[in-house]
Amino acid sequence: MHETALMQNLMDAAARALEGRSVTRVNRVTVSIGRFANVLPDAFLFAFEAMTRDGVFKGAKLETEQLPAKIHCPDCGHEYEADGFPIVCPNCKSRNFTIISGEEVYLKCLECEEEG
Amino acid sequence: MKNSFFNPICLRMALIMIKEIEIDEELYEYNNKIAAVNREKFKAKGVYALNVMGSPGSGKTTLLENILPKLQKQLRIAVIEGDIATQNDALRIQKTGVAAVQINTDGGCHLDAKMIENQLEKLDLDSLDLLIIENVGNLVCPAEFDLGEDLLMVVLSVAEGEDKPLKYPLAFLNAGAAVLTKTDLLPYVDANIDTMKQYITGIHPQIEIFETGKKDGVYHADELIRFIIAQADLKKIR
Repeated sequence: MHETALMQNLMDAAARALEGRSVTRVNRVTVSIGRFANVLPDAFLFAFEAMTRDGVFKGAKLETEQLPAKIHCPDCGHEYEADGFPIVCPNCKSRNFTIISGEEVYLKCLECEEEG
Repeated sequence: MKNSFFNPICLRMALIMIKEIEIDEELYEYNNKIAAVNREKFKAKGVYALNVMGSPGSGKTTLLENILPKLQKQLRIAVIEGDIATQNDALRIQKTGVAAVQINTDGGCHLDAKMIENQLEKLDLDSLDLLIIENVGNLVCPAEFDLGEDLLMVVLSVAEGEDKPLKYPLAFLNAGAAVLTKTDLLPYVDANIDTMKQYITGIHPQIEIFETGKKDGVYHADELIRFIIAQADLKKIR
């Protein structure tokens, strides 16, 4: 259930972004979730709904998009996307790999109603 | 005034605009930054940090109780115990003669880098070679929170089912070592240890795998003990 901890980080980051602005309402929160980030969408949404019951986030929608896992093959230098296990280089069939990205979770943007 | 433009209510409504605020902030970043600070501290003091994760009941604390007496002959060790509640595990470790502190997460399913940073203030890293952090019993979340460790070690008992690595792949992907515990139960459980190893290397081919278990009443973990001592020695040289 680290989705709750992540969602708390998200709400903190969003609050920092809204500081000093006159936002009256947040309509949409867009998040990118890495393929290997180990985030359960349902648990993430549950945490979002629990943390957006009042204030400017009340009624906001959570929009998630998946980021692919990008892999570098140390044997042939090829870069590719992996969608599960086993991770095998499509170019040289090597089982060695380094993960370039795909374990991250990003708060991308907020769609807001703002005065002025 | 007839002109609605000068009506304060209409004026206010006219000035509300829909805006897209770009943020692009990584949500693990806060934890990762503190983990990097912890890692620097371990590096500066030559302390090898081991983060032990696994399901509740996989045998993490029993493993430590059994390897600490041998490790202690060669290394100066401290243990940080993580649990949702109770001091039980720290007390179990202290009985081996190794210093142990307990973190209670009060419901939290994993330790994070900040919790470790807080504990580091209480430990004298100058007088340590090895810091073992036993994470909260959980095969999912601890894998996502870097603590600044040198090695993430996942503990899995053969009694948990041989397909656990397939069901929880990311723990094995992120770990540098896997320990298969309770091998003495193999005759009684529906698990083939070679199949378990194949599943693990299928996810992470470079992972180090160790077996531990009791034989004739004695706990066997010699290969793992040698591995940890060698890694801690390497860290001191670096």
